[in-house]
Amino acid sequence: MTGTLADEREDGEVIATLIAAADAADTDPTTAAKAVAVAAREVSDMMRNWASHIPWEDLEDLDTLPADEVVRFFGEEYPAIRADLEPMWEPATTAAPAIDPDEDYALDKNAYDFFRPVGANLLDRTEEFHGWVEARRRTETWQYSRVLEAAPGGVATITNDLSKPARGINFNSQDYLSFNAHPEIREAAVRAMRDFGPHSAGSPMVLGNTRISDELEVALGEMVGLDHVTLFSNGWSAGFGTVTGLVRQEDHILIDRLAHSCLQSGARAATRNITRYTHLDVEAVRTHLARIRAVDTHNGIMVITDGLFSVDADWPDVVALQEICHAYDATLLVDVAHDLGSMGPGGTGVLGMQDMLGKVDLVMGAFSKTFASNGGFVAAKSPAVKQYIKMFAGSHFFSNALSPMQTAVVLKAAQIIRTDEGEALRGRLFSAIHALRDELTTRGLTCMGSPSPIVPVLIGNEKLARTVNRLLFDRGVLAFMVEFPVTPTGASRFRLQVQAAHEPEQARDAARIIDEALRDAKEHLSSAFGNAF
Amino acid sequence: MLVVDRSRFPSDVLSTHFVWPHGASYLNRLGVLDQVRAVTPAHTEVTVVNNGIALRGGVPEELLRNQFRLLHDDDSGITTEYFSVRRHVLDKILVDNAVQAGVEFREGYTVKELLRDEDGTVIGIKGRDGTVEHAQVVIGADGRNSFVARALGVEKFDERPRCTFAYWSYFSGIPDAEAQIHRRGRLGMAMASTNHGQTMVLTWGPSEWAADFRADVEGNFHRALGLISEEAADTVARARREERFYGTLDQAAYLRQLHGPGWVLVGDAESFKDQCTALGITHALRDAELAAEAVGGWLAGETDRDTAMAGYEAKRRSQTAAAYYDYVCTLAEMKPLRHDELQLFAILRGNQTEIDRFIATHVDVAPVSEFFDPSNVFLLNDTAKESSLDHSAFADFEATYREYQRNPFVRVEAEATR
Repeated sequence: MTGTLADEREDGEVIATLIAAADAADTDPTTAAKAVAVAAREVSDMMRNWASHIPWEDLEDLDTLPADEVVRFFGEEYPAIRADLEPMWEPATTAAPAIDPDEDYALDKNAYDFFRPVGANLLDRTEEFHGWVEARRRTETWQYSRVLEAAPGGVATITNDLSKPARGINFNSQDYLSFNAHPEIREAAVRAMRDFGPHSAGSPMVLGNTRISDELEVALGEMVGLDHVTLFSNGWSAGFGTVTGLVRQEDHILIDRLAHSCLQSGARAATRNITRYTHLDVEAVRTHLARIRAVDTHNGIMVITDGLFSVDADWPDVVALQEICHAYDATLLVDVAHDLGSMGPGGTGVLGMQDMLGKVDLVMGAFSKTFASNGGFVAAKSPAVKQYIKMFAGSHFFSNALSPMQTAVVLKAAQIIRTDEGEALRGRLFSAIHALRDELTTRGLTCMGSPSPIVPVLIGNEKLARTVNRLLFDRGVLAFMVEFPVTPTGASRFRLQVQAAHEPEQARDAARIIDEALRDAKEHLSSAFGNAF
Repeated sequence: MLVVDRSRFPSDVLSTHFVWPHGASYLNRLGVLDQVRAVTPAHTEVTVVNNGIALRGGVPEELLRNQFRLLHDDDSGITTEYFSVRRHVLDKILVDNAVQAGVEFREGYTVKELLRDEDGTVIGIKGRDGTVEHAQVVIGADGRNSFVARALGVEKFDERPRCTFAYWSYFSGIPDAEAQIHRRGRLGMAMASTNHGQTMVLTWGPSEWAADFRADVEGNFHRALGLISEEAADTVARARREERFYGTLDQAAYLRQLHGPGWVLVGDAESFKDQCTALGITHALRDAELAAEAVGGWLAGETDRDTAMAGYEAKRRSQTAAAYYDYVCTLAEMKPLRHDELQLFAILRGNQTEIDRFIATHVDVAPVSEFFDPSNVFLLNDTAKESSLDHSAFADFEATYREYQRNPFVRVEAEATR
């Protein structure tokens, strides 16, 4: 070859010459052989070693073969070589099977892709997101906005947002002790309805609370060991209100990166001085506190964690966290929404399990998981903290109080939780939890965290999770698939919420159905990935 | 241990030959980093520019350590340096190192057949020269067109045909500098200093534009650079090209079964991903160490074969690996950057910790699910230091976005037929 290295032809061009020459072998095999050999010798070292499935040596030697061998080569061996050469220079998309554009769009995107839409018109710019929602609805991969046709028990009858009905083992409802169907709970609601009517008719700061509210505050205070309790009309506003009520712009927040949305939102609303610490990492909290206190001794620090994490089913070392907070003059807030009432000695949750009742700076919770109602609370050691939060948590001051019925339901639930009946219900709940986790684990699925009313089954990939979700709907298991913004991208899962009404056998059936749906979905998507960390 | 290779060394192969810090760390753990560094310029900071929005950062040591502890339970030999090393340099060093370690090496050796017993277990190889070698395990480290995989009929999973085409060459006259990676619309380009005082300049785009691009490789190469970054195009225009153009559009991603009776696959042979994140060598070195740990434990009698291979598989087919596979395959579609993506790049500016974490995520050091955690991305949003008003990429975004969908190389054909 003459000229410099830079003058050499690019491989695509050389191979096109090679193919064209070989294609003319029918008319003049000898000339073709010579041209093919010349071209093969011109192919770069890079390409030869990349396309290691091509017999370059045979092509190079072609002009040294006798004429009959050349004819045989072009007739017998070359067609397979050409079939290997050609696709290297054809876009793979041209040979790929056709894809249903709706399915592709529905499975491909994440909600996060639509978080910062383009355009000056706030309403018009929602259309793109809506197009994606519609694609997911059409492909039955939209897991949201399903409705109940009757009270949700261990089994539920529902319709999805396309009015398609389903009946199945219900892991979609947050009713860990199955209080929704409890006669005394229902009776408490009826009595409150009769005595006070359906409406609280005002902010708790004005005249929205009733005598039942006072009783409930006392009962909750006894459960968590902190006397000064404030009620909120829902759990989200309890978290948001507590953080924004206490933390100011120059203060600092250390928050577990997986803490609940209401706490993350509250943190961002309160200050820009936020550090998200590694999930459950007590030493990371210590390091961050030391770093902050080294430069700022006059502003506050709030350390925020969940008790039982609601999509990971694990919990922190509260003892260690509280100790560190005291050492650095920081305030610990623990959200016990999912564990209070449903686990721990006497239903005292993660705090009771760690002998921390009455020892944590601030405890907040929600009633919607175990106490059969909307609503939430925050509990503190001092009346000053209580009065301050009531005044400065906008979601308390400027929101209508819990209805009398809701308050009565929660009070009755709080009472039952602390009885032998409550203990028995937790026993039933954990029998179903263990049955479910054991069966899922035996089948090779990944149950995250530890035994608790939340059983997260890791899937990971959203495409896979959405496909499993579609299959499960028709197979008799109502399981909620969580993805962004509930979980991080690529960490989707099924969050199964177990109830005392679930029979262990039902739980095992559900595990089998989930396993089969996952296998079928993997086959459908040709996925070879596992579902473990 | 016997290593056979069809090539004779030093030898070259199609490769982005970029070695990210984890790749460099693996080379350090092998004991060859100093040799590579002696002839290869290295840096720690890289600049990533998306539609003109620049982020400069590096892979943090802490995240590298986490990654090595997670995969190997050992974070020794970590370096935050990256480099671009020609394969005729690197592969020769690796081969010599293996020989020094006591490996028997045969170059210019083409495997013609895998030997199997009556159960189908692979028990050795037969060469083109007729020689036969028996082995307890045959490891296919033989790339995208793996002979081992083809001979065994190992099927591909989860193929992603939407990928890039890429063309590149080597230029002299560009001073040694930190790597730059640019994207604009559906096109990308990278410049990285490599061996012999040269700079690799590479451009890529969606494979459906490849046919038009190929009609005039040199013209379109420079046209693409101009469309992506005028400054970079000017630099390259003043430089001297020292080799031919190289190219590929054979970039569709896939996974293959990782192991079977008597065989194991590593690197591109087990899973190929588009070149757009330039991780081929780094991931091959990772696989090599993971597979060596597994096979070593098994052959030394520390564990049985099934347990050893399950350990290798668990690390290569984890949730984190799946998330990264999706990340690269989505990137490789080379769709124009969306409004939300550009805003993310804009709000990252000024937040060095998160820029570094983003870069670490982009090159598979930190898990996708840690950066794209709702609590992180919403916090980034609420603590942004810059706004879209600071960047021209947001002016008339929708019209520009539509324009970016148009194949800029089509006109070459029209001109040719005029």
